[in-house]
Amino acid sequence: MGILEAVDLAKRFGDVQAVDGISLTVGTGEIAGLLGPNGAGKSTTLHMLLGLVTPDSGTVRMFGLDLARHRTEVLSRVNFSASYLGLPGVLHVREVLDAFARLYGLRRPRRRVAEIVDLLDLGALARRKVIELSSGQHTRVQLAKALLNEPRLLILDEPTAALDPDAGDRIRGLLVRVARETGTALLITSHNMREVERMCDRIHFVSAGRIVARGSAAELASDFGVDDLEEVFLKVAREGTVPA
Amino acid sequence: MSVTDLAYPPLSLAARRRRIGGVVVRDLAALRRSPIRVFEIVFWPVIELVVWGYVTLFLQAQKVPFIVSMLLGAVLLWQVLHRAANEVAIGFLEDIWSRNLLNVHVTPVTPAEYLTGLVLFSLTKIAASIVIMAVLAYVLYGFGLLTVGIGLVPFMAVLMVMGWALAVVAISCVLRFGEGAQVIAWSLVFVFQPLAGVFYPVSVLPQALQTIAAFVPATHVFEGMRAVLGGGAIPWDRLTAAACLDVAYVAAALWLYGLTLRHARTKGRLSRFGE
Repeated sequence: MGILEAVDLAKRFGDVQAVDGISLTVGTGEIAGLLGPNGAGKSTTLHMLLGLVTPDSGTVRMFGLDLARHRTEVLSRVNFSASYLGLPGVLHVREVLDAFARLYGLRRPRRRVAEIVDLLDLGALARRKVIELSSGQHTRVQLAKALLNEPRLLILDEPTAALDPDAGDRIRGLLVRVARETGTALLITSHNMREVERMCDRIHFVSAGRIVARGSAAELASDFGVDDLEEVFLKVAREGTVPA
Repeated sequence: MSVTDLAYPPLSLAARRRRIGGVVVRDLAALRRSPIRVFEIVFWPVIELVVWGYVTLFLQAQKVPFIVSMLLGAVLLWQVLHRAANEVAIGFLEDIWSRNLLNVHVTPVTPAEYLTGLVLFSLTKIAASIVIMAVLAYVLYGFGLLTVGIGLVPFMAVLMVMGWALAVVAISCVLRFGEGAQVIAWSLVFVFQPLAGVFYPVSVLPQALQTIAAFVPATHVFEGMRAVLGGGAIPWDRLTAAACLDVAYVAAALWLYGLTLRHARTKGRLSRFGE
């Protein structure tokens, strides 16, 4: 069974057709990338998958359930992290995680928080206020929040945007391990092409609200007749070209 | 650990309790970590009490009967309404200020659970404000809040429920019109102050306003309070009317919240709270 099945999603904001018939699936343990230039419709698509934006048409099913009709059940098995989101600044990191563990209806929130703090090596930050964290530390806490409920689908918008190369590498390793060992499906957006090449099994290229190409990094490079994903990105972004 | 072991079934009562508790626990932790917010619990009630307390002492010196108890009772009960309306709205606004609203909206927390959590948290702050004011009123002016009698409980309950309904309306306005509408969260309750006859009997209002005032739950509370402090019996008919109006206010507020939330999702406004 597919973890995520989005069919023919469309969204218009005024004169702008932000998303124009996007369909995609993500399977168990798969790491899928959603790439495209700024304004291509990636975030709107993610937000439709999370129920933050209601599509004009199309359907979103997760774990075989329709998101619109089974929102609570679906969202209890999904999580999300985005570099542009904040967390309550006055709270200690442990308190933030404890609150979110409860918001996800976990049975033993404190125990789960302790596990996650260990997993992401957040022990030194646990008693610090969120507002005192660096952007990289904040990203790690967001990721910790995103792993609290052992999601079967993890949606990540620029997951390593604010991390230094070392921290970014560790987080990428952790996410890949989570996907491979637990079967959690990942759907990520990123402007770091090396990251996408390294992590993603399948990549969906979005331009002007449509998916214009999809495949593995090697397949896409081959289809576009270029050496790597970055050149594919540049072709899509600058020329809007799609291989025949 | 499987998902079933980790979490309660999402639609179970235990899961709902846990999620509501999550909102309360988070806001309590934020209160504990924010001296400014604690200070606020004390500051406004004390200021109001001091100002109105000395006004009443002056009027008492002019031999106006019952004036101390009536005005101080009004100040205390007004704070109940005011705090109920503000605290719930502030809880929501804090999610916007910290760019955390989207994080909350992608959890399985339902809108009803979220609002319930905010309301339960507001109870703690309202209770703290009432206790502080009641003690001060007794110490400074010899006014015992309990002189209102058993009617105090339903009086306060009616005002709290009305305040929560107004808060939900304010939240709905922010969802519909964006952060700029947050001024409504602070000011909406004051629209009702002249109509509710907080510091004077409604009979002094023009007839047209009296008619409108009859549809404000708080009006019946403040009129009832004056009747009790004047030596009369608790006007249960007024309290019943106020409770019925509360039900209508809450229903209308929840309907508006549902409408604006759907609108915010349709128009993409909800997403913009994360930008």
